[in-house]
Amino acid sequence: MKHTETHDSYEFPSGSKVVQGLFTISAAAILISIAGYFVIEDKAQFYFSWLTAFSYVASISLGALAFVVIQHITRAKWSVVVRRIPEVIGSNIWVLAILFIPVILGMHSLYHWTHHEAVEADKLLQDKAPYLNVPFFVIRNVVYFLIWGFIGYFLYSKSKKQDETADHGIQTQLRRFSGPAIPILGFSLAFASFDWLMSLDPHWFSTMFGVYFFSISFQAIFPVMILITLYLRGKGLLTHTINMPHIESLGKLFFGFTVFYAYIAFSQFMLIYYANIPEEVLWFQHRVEGGYKFIAYALLLGRFVLPFVLLLKKSNKSNFGILKFTSVWILFIHAVELYWIIMPTHSAHGVHLSVLDFTALIGTITLMLALFFQKFSKGSMVPKNDPFLSESIHQH
Amino acid sequence: MANKLFGILAEYEHPGALLKAAEKVRDAGYQKFDTYSPFPVHGMDDAMGLKNSKLGWIVLVHGLLGLTGALTMITFMAHFDYPVNISGKPFLNWPAFVPVTFELTVLLSSFGAVFGMFFLNGLPKHHHPLFNSSNFLRTTDDKFFICIESEDTLFTEDKATQLLKDAGAVTIEKIYDND
Repeated sequence: MKHTETHDSYEFPSGSKVVQGLFTISAAAILISIAGYFVIEDKAQFYFSWLTAFSYVASISLGALAFVVIQHITRAKWSVVVRRIPEVIGSNIWVLAILFIPVILGMHSLYHWTHHEAVEADKLLQDKAPYLNVPFFVIRNVVYFLIWGFIGYFLYSKSKKQDETADHGIQTQLRRFSGPAIPILGFSLAFASFDWLMSLDPHWFSTMFGVYFFSISFQAIFPVMILITLYLRGKGLLTHTINMPHIESLGKLFFGFTVFYAYIAFSQFMLIYYANIPEEVLWFQHRVEGGYKFIAYALLLGRFVLPFVLLLKKSNKSNFGILKFTSVWILFIHAVELYWIIMPTHSAHGVHLSVLDFTALIGTITLMLALFFQKFSKGSMVPKNDPFLSESIHQH
Repeated sequence: MANKLFGILAEYEHPGALLKAAEKVRDAGYQKFDTYSPFPVHGMDDAMGLKNSKLGWIVLVHGLLGLTGALTMITFMAHFDYPVNISGKPFLNWPAFVPVTFELTVLLSSFGAVFGMFFLNGLPKHHHPLFNSSNFLRTTDDKFFICIESEDTLFTEDKATQLLKDAGAVTIEKIYDND
């Protein structure tokens, strides 16, 4: 047990150009996307690209919220030094409500069930109409964003307050809050995934879909945390606070939830494949046709087999090179997977990449990153008055 | 009765002392020694200079054996030995093979882990020379011990005793292997 005191500064160095740079890229990319909307003939393309980009940042922000509430409810001590990162990501979740506006505007292009004539001609859609109708869809989404905005705000602001007041009672408040927050977050996340992604094909249903969406979201939060941690380390920040055991722990969770993802994604696929019921199997049928077939295999190999092999060995879980590569790769393939879920509804017969796919994705990701660094650089980068901080730093 | 010297057993009062003593024994270059405590002491692996366990490799081999074994078995049964047409699906129905393959991989991996651990620890064992010391039994209660074994190439009785004493041992005992 080494009880060396840490000499790290918990303040982000001022004068960093990161935030400005990210905002500039984001503004440019989003402007190109919007300009693209007016130029492009196929208006629906813009909405589908935007929905993909929106789902990408939404899933990662939700993963961050889930991570923080789990740390509080389990009273985890090891994660205190890295907790501020997901706290900040989660607190910016209200921005998603703004990013969701184009989806509302483009509902008619995105969701088949919004067409009156389609519903009138379709018994199944009529039966689903009490749930799948425009006003209720909008209300549900407002409720989701209120719930998540509140959870994110509460977790972040209380933790910040602890920085100032050093009041240890806040720890208890956060833990009490996290108990009910977990099921509420879980259900709202599942229903949001039904609304945003599953209802793209209103005939299709999978009871696994909510868990599936959670599994991809939660797998993607660890590479984000690892990359931010390693970025800070590269800048010489928190090098004595976030130590090797923490990075290795993140690597372990990354590995564990890679397996979890594979388990869930494959369970969903296999049950539907084996039962072979037309109304269920069609969704996968569209996703193994044309170019989508290659994506499906790439997901199996790239999102499970590759990270599994790379992260299996103990020493690899704290090898910066391997962690960086695997993290960047998973964050890339996360976008590919969302593309594979969403796009077959738009271009059914094969992959049809559009510039807007890239600009929308770059725009939203850099926007969330800019907002992250803007908030992260204000005040302490770790919950500095957390009662478990010292124990976390000296973790073995 | 051929009493062979098994090793030198030293007793320490608290886990901190045990940890420091283990570091000293490690730095003196001993390989064959072990520490005994009523509960796991954090940082002991480093203090003893233990390398990563070989158990992972044993588990990996068993896991791969389960994986290939399961795939071979199902392929043989479903395609060569007794092909059955199940709702028109192909005989080599890979997605359907996965659950069994997964289960067998996990089963053999866990066998590898448990029995590999037994093997590496030399278990089961009916008797250990350390049980000849009545004092040693308190390792399950409130005392902390290091034993440097005579099989170590560096081992001489005087040097080992001196080293343990310098490290702050409360009592020193010679342990004989009487069989």
